[in-house]
Amino acid sequence: MKKIFLIYLCFILVFLSGCWDQSLLVGKTLINGVSFDISEKNELVAAARILNIESKGGGQFELTDELLDVKGKYSSEVGPEINFKMPGKIDVSKAHIILIGEELGKKGIHPFLEIFYRPKDAYVTSRVVMTKGSAADILAVNPQKSPIAFEILKALRSSETLTNIPRQTVFSAWSQIVDPGEDLMLPFVEKVEENRVSIGGVYLFHSDKYTGYSIPREKSTLLLLLTEGIQKEGFVALNLTRNRSTAFRVTDENRKLDLVVDKDHRKIKCKINLEIDVDLVSYSNNFEEKTNVKTLNKDMSELLTKEAKELTKTLLEANCDAFGIGKKLASSHPDVWKKLDWEKDYKNVQFEPKVKVNITKTGTVF
Amino acid sequence: MITKKNSITTFQIFFFLIQSQVGIGLLSLPNVVQATAKGDGWISTILAGVIVQIMLIIYWLLFKQFPNENYTKITIRLFGKYIGKLLNCIIYLYFILTGSLALILYINCISLWLLPLTPVWVLSLFIMLSGIYLAISELTIIARFYVIATFMLVLLIFLSLLTYGLEKDFQNILPIGHSGMKNILMGSNKSIISMLGFEGVLLIYPFINNKEKGMLKSVSFANLTVTALYTYFLFLCLISFSPNQLKQVREPVLYLFKALSYDMLDRIDLIFISSWIVPMTTSIIAYLFYASKSISKEKSYKKTVLVNAIIIYLISIYPFDENMITKFSTYVTYLSYFVVFILPILLLTLTLFIKTLKRSENA
Repeated sequence: MKKIFLIYLCFILVFLSGCWDQSLLVGKTLINGVSFDISEKNELVAAARILNIESKGGGQFELTDELLDVKGKYSSEVGPEINFKMPGKIDVSKAHIILIGEELGKKGIHPFLEIFYRPKDAYVTSRVVMTKGSAADILAVNPQKSPIAFEILKALRSSETLTNIPRQTVFSAWSQIVDPGEDLMLPFVEKVEENRVSIGGVYLFHSDKYTGYSIPREKSTLLLLLTEGIQKEGFVALNLTRNRSTAFRVTDENRKLDLVVDKDHRKIKCKINLEIDVDLVSYSNNFEEKTNVKTLNKDMSELLTKEAKELTKTLLEANCDAFGIGKKLASSHPDVWKKLDWEKDYKNVQFEPKVKVNITKTGTVF
Repeated sequence: MITKKNSITTFQIFFFLIQSQVGIGLLSLPNVVQATAKGDGWISTILAGVIVQIMLIIYWLLFKQFPNENYTKITIRLFGKYIGKLLNCIIYLYFILTGSLALILYINCISLWLLPLTPVWVLSLFIMLSGIYLAISELTIIARFYVIATFMLVLLIFLSLLTYGLEKDFQNILPIGHSGMKNILMGSNKSIISMLGFEGVLLIYPFINNKEKGMLKSVSFANLTVTALYTYFLFLCLISFSPNQLKQVREPVLYLFKALSYDMLDRIDLIFISSWIVPMTTSIIAYLFYASKSISKEKSYKKTVLVNAIIIYLISIYPFDENMITKFSTYVTYLSYFVVFILPILLLTLTLFIKTLKRSENA
């Protein structure tokens, strides 16, 4: 019995003496935001916002937020490069934001996503955001209150709940890029003042390349209502005629997407019927007239249908299959899908969007 | 001797089979099946379940003829001492190699996801030490532990419900049957390999109480549960990943949890794999047990377990590269075709043949 106990004790001594895989918080530099750009010399420029943690003793930590940039030729080179420049091991496991510059976006973003989904520490729920102009410029903005990465994250989150921009993480973007029957839309941010960054709207992609077409923030809500569906709510402002404008909150939607395929002529017609329930938030009109819900419904429906047509036209021009029509064809008409060359044939899809507005509450406006 | 002390109930055999079947295979199954069956992978696992069920019925028919013997004794009875022993050696080799392969894959997975810097020999030692501790004891004790460990699986299934927050796309599996019968069958072949473990019935059959009545029922029920579990996870991965994405990911089930994020909780994949250690270890313990049972006599059982554990340990710490692991697993697959499928069918036909022969002699 004693012998066995001694053997056990030896084992315990060996195994409890240390751990191979410990990594202390103090020995780390945490990255909370990364940006990628391409310079005029065709060089890759990466920048990172780094949270330095220094122990002051007694359980107190000092946090400093600093900016660091490195140049490299290809994506995989950049990570180790940053590591060399920093004291301590870098940790991308909490990189909340990945900013990608406009110019680099045109060359393809897949290699930059890859370094965020393959490694074991990678954080696949990081948000992927495009930037108008250089991404490093945006990351260099120094708001007074908190690190810029968190500011952008906050702005993204609130816009997502308003169905203003799509919620795109590394995981979802990756999924859409590798899927031939679906194209990506990514939100973009722009610098508005010296110390401020705001959401600009949506960039349209084809496979992993930015097409150069963008949808501004004012119209992106309608696009998202058509393609991805409503998040918590939607908020749209419309200018009906010269002195009548309205702002409303979309509370619910009913979306129907029908594909009509003409097999002989390889013609694809896509009918989109969107019905939205809205609450009026403001409506400025001639104050002597009473609000007529019926005519307002009609006017708004017409205007939104017109806008939807423009949006689908832009999508076709950009060759961005944001509706995932290719995927729908592949699952419902596999024989047609096999014959199509989606790169070219997508442009021949005919969209027929129709929006119907249904005012459920006029709220304080009546 | 089979006494009440070392026999197990039909209730326990249900959990015993589940625990020895479910393990490392499930984590990478969606990726493996995607290579051939694509969106129809879920049909492949169901088909695999059907094939396993057919095999279980064959085992049952075989044991109806030999109620108190196990696999290795039947081979000797039917083929004589020399050929029988040779066959038993192959059976033993199969169990040892499958156990080692499972351990190698398990350690690879752990060091890829959880502990990249911990040396392999330490990980393997820990697993084998706990394995020996359990496998050396009575079958009843192992079975009891497996019953408790199954609660972990239930917990993990609940965890998987969280992934419904991710975007799901049912179009990935449509149109049903698009990859063709041949590819679906090839997918089933792959899924059967990850469902292996049910062949343990061949060795523990004599220890089951009350086997005439509920044995086939509980074994079939175990198979149904495992098939349902595999199909469920496969289906979940199929609708959560786009097809090309699924091809890029080695362990899709874990990636699924990686994509989840909450304010309070993050990286659920790490929680999942830490809990998945239990079902992975139980299948290794089961193989250690099977291997030892297949060659040992009643008295020398404990020593055999130790020797087998050391053999498995040594194989697992050998520095295999990825090509060698692939080769290793193809060899084990071929071996499994023989031990799990061909030999029992052969034994059954032989017994039935002898029986009819005898009957005609008597008549």
